[in-house]
Amino acid sequence: MKIFQQSSEFDYSWEEVSTSNWRKYGPWNEKTPHVIAVDTISRTIDPHTGILRTERLITCKQSAPKWVLSILGGQDTSLVYETSYVDPAHKKVTMCAMNITWSDVLSVRETCVYQPSSSAPDAKTNFVQRAEITALCGGWQKIKNSIEQFTVERFQQNAAKGKEGFEMVLEMSRKVFAEQREMLRLQQESKILQEARI
Amino acid sequence: MSASLAPECNQVKEQYDNCFLKWYSEKFLRGTATSDECESLFKQYEQCLSKALKARGIDSMLREAREDNRENDAEHMRPKP
Repeated sequence: MKIFQQSSEFDYSWEEVSTSNWRKYGPWNEKTPHVIAVDTISRTIDPHTGILRTERLITCKQSAPKWVLSILGGQDTSLVYETSYVDPAHKKVTMCAMNITWSDVLSVRETCVYQPSSSAPDAKTNFVQRAEITALCGGWQKIKNSIEQFTVERFQQNAAKGKEGFEMVLEMSRKVFAEQREMLRLQQESKILQEARI
Repeated sequence: MSASLAPECNQVKEQYDNCFLKWYSEKFLRGTATSDECESLFKQYEQCLSKALKARGIDSMLREAREDNRENDAEHMRPKP
């Protein structure tokens, strides 16, 4: 088993981060073209805790090299099952993801947590990401090690791109939100705009 | 917003995603959500998507994944002191 772990901070409030998180893989993110679809498959609120639980299915375009595909089987897309838990009272988002393609030969389990940063809880958000990668296929240890090593490296590259892309989404969300507020303000102040109903 | 894995569901998915995001930021995070206002849109989206998941055999993979995820549910749905 190999472990990938990182933590960092976003210069945005927890509310902004947790909202933008839902559009992380949208058109504002130019860094993660390998994510081609994100579908919500269930969503519920726990009546006792108020926790919002969401299940999503994430479709990725496969770009593994030939030697990996020859071992794992050659499919052009891979699927990830993600459950997330948003606790609004404790301001905590936890996201758990696992691969469902190739799950008989490779297990990738990731947990991400977003919480207000202790240094500036109203302005910054702390992000912790941890993934466990285990090759399950039978056969030589050497092959297992190579698969785990390849996967952890690819995971690391995608995590870096994911963070860069998420920064773009956060910036864009803040801009659009500010524009909407400004528009609303202008609309309330201007008679002409009110009549034009922009 | 992102696309759906089933292109025929894209339109209803986008409507639902927009509805959800508005509800999430304006009500859920502020603690004023009394119900899920986007439920009817979600049902339409779900109906479209479930056909595609079934046709591609993804529904059975999802059932297995849900089983594997029980520990996470138990840990993260637990009430905090």
